[in-house]
Amino acid sequence: MRKTEQPVLTRSQYNQKTHSIGRIFTWIALGLIMLVPVIYCLEAKVLPDGTAVVKSLPFLLGYLVVGLIESISYAPLLGTAGQYMSFITGNISNLKLPCAINSRSLSKAAPGSEEQELITTISIAVSTIVTTVIIVIGLIPLYFFRAQIVSVLSPISPYVIPAIFGGLTLVLVAQYFKIAFIPFVVCILICVVGNLLGFGSSLGQSTMVLVGMAVSGISTTILYKKNKI
Amino acid sequence: MTESYLSIFILGGAIALAIICMSVFFIVKATRRAKQIGMDKKIIRETVRSSAVFSIVPSIPIVIGIGILMQSLGLAIPWIRLTVIGALQYELIAMNQAQTALESAGGYSQEVFVATAVTIMTLSIVSGPVFNAVFYKKYQGKLADLQEKNGRLMNTITGALLGGLLSGMLSSILVGGIFSIGSPVTDGSGITSYGEITIITLAAGMFIMGLCGLLLKVFKQKWIESYALPLTILGALGVAYALTASGVFAG
Repeated sequence: MRKTEQPVLTRSQYNQKTHSIGRIFTWIALGLIMLVPVIYCLEAKVLPDGTAVVKSLPFLLGYLVVGLIESISYAPLLGTAGQYMSFITGNISNLKLPCAINSRSLSKAAPGSEEQELITTISIAVSTIVTTVIIVIGLIPLYFFRAQIVSVLSPISPYVIPAIFGGLTLVLVAQYFKIAFIPFVVCILICVVGNLLGFGSSLGQSTMVLVGMAVSGISTTILYKKNKI
Repeated sequence: MTESYLSIFILGGAIALAIICMSVFFIVKATRRAKQIGMDKKIIRETVRSSAVFSIVPSIPIVIGIGILMQSLGLAIPWIRLTVIGALQYELIAMNQAQTALESAGGYSQEVFVATAVTIMTLSIVSGPVFNAVFYKKYQGKLADLQEKNGRLMNTITGALLGGLLSGMLSSILVGGIFSIGSPVTDGSGITSYGEITIITLAAGMFIMGLCGLLLKVFKQKWIESYALPLTILGALGVAYALTASGVFAG
């Protein structure tokens, strides 16, 4: 029997379906993640120390706020399905987003187009699979040769992000020079002053990404209103 | 090393499986949609290939992260934590937070430490997924409306966020690197980084990407386009590895 052809959904209808599936996967993932401490406590027959958890509340609240800011600010960059996947699997600024930027740049799809969103989705999904599989494969040698693996590979791990962003900078600067110039100068100044005043360690990459996005948001709004971009 | 229970491994397997199922599902769905709207199959194949090649090298520090955390938390918990939203630096901070809070509260067993640490780690990462599950649909609807009504503004916002990401990352790498020249920094995981190597790696990345661009634009080597970034990362990390192995900045 011949299959009846389904009508082509509009972008909005397609996105609605993606939301439904994304939400289901998010709830499943959240449930499984929350089970980790529960199952550990049942197995070890212990309870987390209540006083220690209460004392950690300021830390917890800080991270909850950062997570919220990240999910709002990364959303326009990750696309609908990419947002759901990225906030389940993490490693957004050091892996998922650079990977998607690279694929988008190779595809030359128009910014904001559905093509670009689909490329972002596929890119993040493939990246997620590769990382998950590499981690699983890595578990066996890690169990037996932990010390050797860590001692051989850990000295270069601080340089993976400089290596990625060294390459990405040339790709992105060509496209976003006008937009990125002011936030870059401001971020450099913030980092220099922070280091001179002795709180440079607080200005890590994840903090500076949020600072950069905030500064860039303000400077770009001004440039946009003045029709300079 | 802390003991890992079989049930935690099974849970880890279930989480990894759920993540792979979700990713495969979205790939199939996006590929079908791409076909419906008439996208070239070659672009999809290229995206799959470039993303797979790109993701290999940046995944290695995650495996190292498990190796670092497993000494305190066993093998299964770091595996799960770094497969889902966690990241090594964050997990270390959360673990130290649990340790400090427990030390100030008095004596504790290893099991209580792991239970407390994993509880704090888990609770503090839930805001992103909860936001997505509850509010993201409405938020994305507003973004889509904006895209439809004023595409130029929406593209400017996206550009501003990317520009901000690049500015924040580069400034942190550059200034952090310059300020640690001659005074290496050892982080909570015991890994030492040298400012000189950070700056050289960044410069090597730019240089190799520049070379790839030259090969593409001047010498019309089209094949290099798909492999430019993975090659850049590997080349720059090769430089970093040679410098760390030589110990030239360690003395």
